[in-house]
Amino acid sequence: MSSLPQERVEAPGAAEATRLLQAGSRLVSVFGAVEGDGTKVRYVVDVPGPGYRVLEQAVRGPLQSLTPIAPAAAWYERELQDQFAVKLTGHPDPRRLLLHDNWPREVHPMAAAVEPVPWADEPYQFLHVEGEGVCEVAVGPVHAGIIEPGHFRFSVMGDNVLYLELRHFYAHKGTEKLFQGTPVAYGQMIAESVSGDNCFAHAVAYCQAVEQALGVTVPRQAQLVRLIGLEMERMIAHIGDVGALSNDVAFVLPAAYCSRVKEDLMKASARAMNTRFWKGIAVPGGVTRAPAAEMLKRAVKQAADEFAKMANIILDRPSVQGRFEGAGVLRRTVAEDLAAVGPVARASGIITDVRHDHPYGAYRGLQLDVPSLGYGDVLARARVRIEEAAVSARLVFDALSQLAPGPIMAELPQAAAFEGFSAVESPRGELLYWVKGEAGKLSRCHIKSPSFQNWPALPHAVMGNVIADFPLINKSFNLSYSGCDR
Amino acid sequence: MIFDVIQRSLKAPNRLVTVDELLGRAEGSRMPEVNPALLTEEIARQACNVCPTAAFAPAKPQEKELLALDYGKCIGCGRCFEFAAFSPAERLTNCGASKAGLVRYFDFEHAAEVQIRPDAQEARREIFSLVGRALNIRQLDAGSCNGCEAEIAALTNPYYDLERFGIHFVASPKHADMLLVTGPVTRNMAIAVKKTYEATPAPKLVVAVGACGCSGGIFASSYAVAGPLEKLVPVDAYIPGCPPTPAMLLTGILEVLRRTARLKQSS
Repeated sequence: MSSLPQERVEAPGAAEATRLLQAGSRLVSVFGAVEGDGTKVRYVVDVPGPGYRVLEQAVRGPLQSLTPIAPAAAWYERELQDQFAVKLTGHPDPRRLLLHDNWPREVHPMAAAVEPVPWADEPYQFLHVEGEGVCEVAVGPVHAGIIEPGHFRFSVMGDNVLYLELRHFYAHKGTEKLFQGTPVAYGQMIAESVSGDNCFAHAVAYCQAVEQALGVTVPRQAQLVRLIGLEMERMIAHIGDVGALSNDVAFVLPAAYCSRVKEDLMKASARAMNTRFWKGIAVPGGVTRAPAAEMLKRAVKQAADEFAKMANIILDRPSVQGRFEGAGVLRRTVAEDLAAVGPVARASGIITDVRHDHPYGAYRGLQLDVPSLGYGDVLARARVRIEEAAVSARLVFDALSQLAPGPIMAELPQAAAFEGFSAVESPRGELLYWVKGEAGKLSRCHIKSPSFQNWPALPHAVMGNVIADFPLINKSFNLSYSGCDR
Repeated sequence: MIFDVIQRSLKAPNRLVTVDELLGRAEGSRMPEVNPALLTEEIARQACNVCPTAAFAPAKPQEKELLALDYGKCIGCGRCFEFAAFSPAERLTNCGASKAGLVRYFDFEHAAEVQIRPDAQEARREIFSLVGRALNIRQLDAGSCNGCEAEIAALTNPYYDLERFGIHFVASPKHADMLLVTGPVTRNMAIAVKKTYEATPAPKLVVAVGACGCSGGIFASSYAVAGPLEKLVPVDAYIPGCPPTPAMLLTGILEVLRRTARLKQSS
């Protein structure tokens, strides 16, 4: 996003971040980097009006935790502790996050080279709810379906969930460290493996960050191809999610129908781009190929029409309404405190969408509808997804109409040192990549994933519901475990 | 209302794809096919250079130096397609193969593929006395990116409809004949993987899925990875791909069953 200011505040970045957050800015990310002999922490905040700001803070001792004033910082700061050995004062929950029991406490993988690490057995304390009749239910990391790994610890009284604690990061793969030393032209391959079903959004966010850092302008045709890929990915995700929600309330026929429509779009991708997931398409500087417009137009139109009809059938069904309505309410104030993003935030009345707030690529100059609802329940999240899929279909259609022969790749200049960031609206919400490097190689890449941001909001939507509604509420969030755990 | 749905699905054309149309197909997977006639020493060297996961590597299985292509390591990045000798594969025959069966060898001097008999790593006999027509699969995510999960879940959509072969996904390893394992096996999942394996009743057929399952894929060198899977539990068959397409998954699963049936006949 070359148009956005990336302001540096030399001295206390943490103090400036605190000031901005107290004045109503949204926390986007907090991350560390080893630079020279020291560690630097960067705060990314979204200031209403001016936009994203990156604030740097050198670590010279314990840092004051931002979590008491910005609860959204809680997991980021715990990650800093685990990864970079940054000490925090005043953090309300300083337990380890990424590194599980098997990691010795003195190991901090991003702070130093990791030698073979001995297996440890460090105890982890769950928070317990005590009292007569309170039971704990432990679920995961291996779940009962074709799902990613994660652990949910419920404290229940009868059917009612009193408290839910998440324990994730079973899929932690050390991805951010893999970028270090990787040539810029290969980084998107790692980005594509962060969250498989959103792999194109990850690849585009990475490429845009590199392009912003190197001052490259991507040809218009390549920007259109990226928009087409991003919106098809969103359609595929939302159609699959709405079908899965229907399945979770035992209305299986529309679920099968939606899975068929979703597969039609993936087959169309395979025909048009030779890849079901748009892998290998986005590369720094542009895209590797452009689709045949007419074939994709037909496929997208048919999928959008069929899905719209099926969505009506799902939402009209009283048994569906009875389960969706009022289930898993995420209150707007909670969503704001936790800086929730994506469809989850929009279903709780927060109008936030990177395509609208910080337009990039072919989204610049577009009039974009941002569907939003205030109820914050499963029904609202389903309806937001249904409306967004329709918007996406229109965007794909318009972009396909504008496709024309022309260059789809720009030359990447060699820069001695580069640093930049970029955000895209992935199907799950704001996805930001921050890159730094020199001489064609990356020295650090940070991924702000929407799932990392939204997972802490899930327990607030679940508590007070019956435990039997958990799969439905969880599905309505549909967060990525791998994207969160990286 | 529900009748609308039923009517709509009954009216829809019968789209179920026959198994013959699926077996061996690999479109959309971006796995490479090699045209040995166009292979030279220089192209072989460059293929090794551009490959991010060393799926292309020089190898010397016999006295001569050959170009090896290990599908278990390939993440389908497409970098090799810039050379005319490599193109996206439409068919792939080694889904469900043994580890050695994932590797193909090419003689770049004579521009030909070299057949090297894989080690006689046949499927274990005891499995097959049990597996008859129905197969219960427990999918186990050992830290994947969820790409493999998306494709495995697609196996149940009306195009592929895995259940028509008597193959079901079950909720517990205790009900499973086969563990379908994805992901590079992260350190944080290592204990859960071992416990799941232990909870599965013998004979525990284990299939490693995807580049991560087969070799660790792009994550092989990460500090947070304890795998690949074969380091932790015995693996019977491999399905390459990043991710493998539903057709490749189906081919792999059915290939394991076919090998089983063959074994059963010969015993």
